[in-house]
Amino acid sequence: MKNRKGYGHQGHLLSPVGSPLSDNESGAAAAAGGGGCGSSVGYCGGGGGESPAKEQDRFLPIANVSRIMKRSLPANAKISKEAKETVQECVSEFISFVTGEASDKCQREKRKTINGDDLLWAMTTLGFEAYVAPLKSYLNRYREAEGEKAAVLGGGARHGEGGGAADDAGPLAAGGGAGDGVDRAGHDDDAHVGLMMGASSVGFGSGGGAAPSYYAAASRKAYGAGEGSKVMEFEGEEENGGVQRGRGFASHLHGAVQW
Amino acid sequence: MEPSSQPQPAMGVAAGGSQVYPASAYPPAATVAPPAVASAGLQSVQPFPANPAHMSAQHQIVYQQAQQFHQQLQQQQQQQLQQFWVERMTEIEATADFRNHNLPLARIKKIMKADEDVRMISAEAPVVFAKACEIFILELTLRSWMHTEENKRRTLQKNDIAAAITRTDIYDFLVDIVPRDEMKDDGIGLPRPGLPPMGAPADAYPYYYMPQQQVPGPGMVYGAQQGHPVTYLWQDPQEQQEQAPEEQQSLHERD
Repeated sequence: MKNRKGYGHQGHLLSPVGSPLSDNESGAAAAAGGGGCGSSVGYCGGGGGESPAKEQDRFLPIANVSRIMKRSLPANAKISKEAKETVQECVSEFISFVTGEASDKCQREKRKTINGDDLLWAMTTLGFEAYVAPLKSYLNRYREAEGEKAAVLGGGARHGEGGGAADDAGPLAAGGGAGDGVDRAGHDDDAHVGLMMGASSVGFGSGGGAAPSYYAAASRKAYGAGEGSKVMEFEGEEENGGVQRGRGFASHLHGAVQW
Repeated sequence: MEPSSQPQPAMGVAAGGSQVYPASAYPPAATVAPPAVASAGLQSVQPFPANPAHMSAQHQIVYQQAQQFHQQLQQQQQQQLQQFWVERMTEIEATADFRNHNLPLARIKKIMKADEDVRMISAEAPVVFAKACEIFILELTLRSWMHTEENKRRTLQKNDIAAAITRTDIYDFLVDIVPRDEMKDDGIGLPRPGLPPMGAPADAYPYYYMPQQQVPGPGMVYGAQQGHPVTYLWQDPQEQQEQAPEEQQSLHERD
């Protein structure tokens, strides 16, 4: 079933790929498709292990929130548990508040994907102008870092060869990568019930989130298979995969190409 | 920055007033009390001077001193906030690793997706939010701590957060999260309409000691220093991508 869902998303991807690669919006749409696929499948994976309506999922972990709060206080300051929980709620409200504003803007402009610039615009509109300067600097440097990473991975000789063979199957390779990630996450979940569940979810979330950027980068360079490899590379790193796991990914990529 | 700082004076005054005069329902008493209390504290003069001219002069002196103290406090808080933003920019410019975040991206994405209108989210959106939420938590905590200090406590409590939310315009969207009770405990709503004119003199008294006893600068510096090792500690679990350490820490927090 997971594979079928992945396939559906791949079908969705075919349309934007058909348009000229030089078109930025086309790349963005492709990235959006990738993100959607990752998100959807990731959710299915998560659903298997835990209830989506879980109360705790509505907030960021209290340990993380508490740690950040302490950075803002003197060493001898103490924080009541009630205060920590209140800040937890405030942060979730902040995310929903800004996301809602950004989402409205995207709908007005007939766009489906919320990106970093939309969030910065929303914060400005909602009175958080002071946040925009540091966040813009952060976002630009993040994009540079991602760009460098894609370039390095794309330059690999083996990736280059694969790319040549699978140009037309670029989206399929990407889908395959995402699907493989899901399967592997499920396996880990079975192996380590309680502990790995969160790790798999987080890892896959990051992987799924990263996919669109890689895909966008790859589409600009017309390197479909390379993009697939990059996704798998990222996934392996997230899970501390060794050489064997890397080989498994490569093998799976080969399978995807055959499709 | 200036608009957001304006609400502080009024609230500060109101809070101070409520502390000194619980019976704020009786304006006449409040009218008389300020000079007496202030006089007793600041000068060795009779509690109830009969001379109207003398009273007026005393009142003027007290009022001026109150204004000075209040302005000093406001300046200190503004300096703290300015330093806060300088630190944020410096911290971000020093960031080299964009893979480890102080907040889990998957959870952020889940919260974003709770809105049914939200369809697709780019990879960079949760990354931006991870940093934005960090700044949000830091600023909210700093503003809340200002209220803790004003009340001479060392434990940040829920009503301190309520006070910060009330004092800061950009936090209006959080008003529903903090129940009215917290605001009542803080005494912000009740005295506000009646006491602003007289609040200044009374406010001076509690504020007068805080600057002398507590130096925000070193405190902030220490806090900043503390931040570094904490960040380092978090990196280890993040790299391992294991949930166990986080859960253990969570349990430890509860203990």
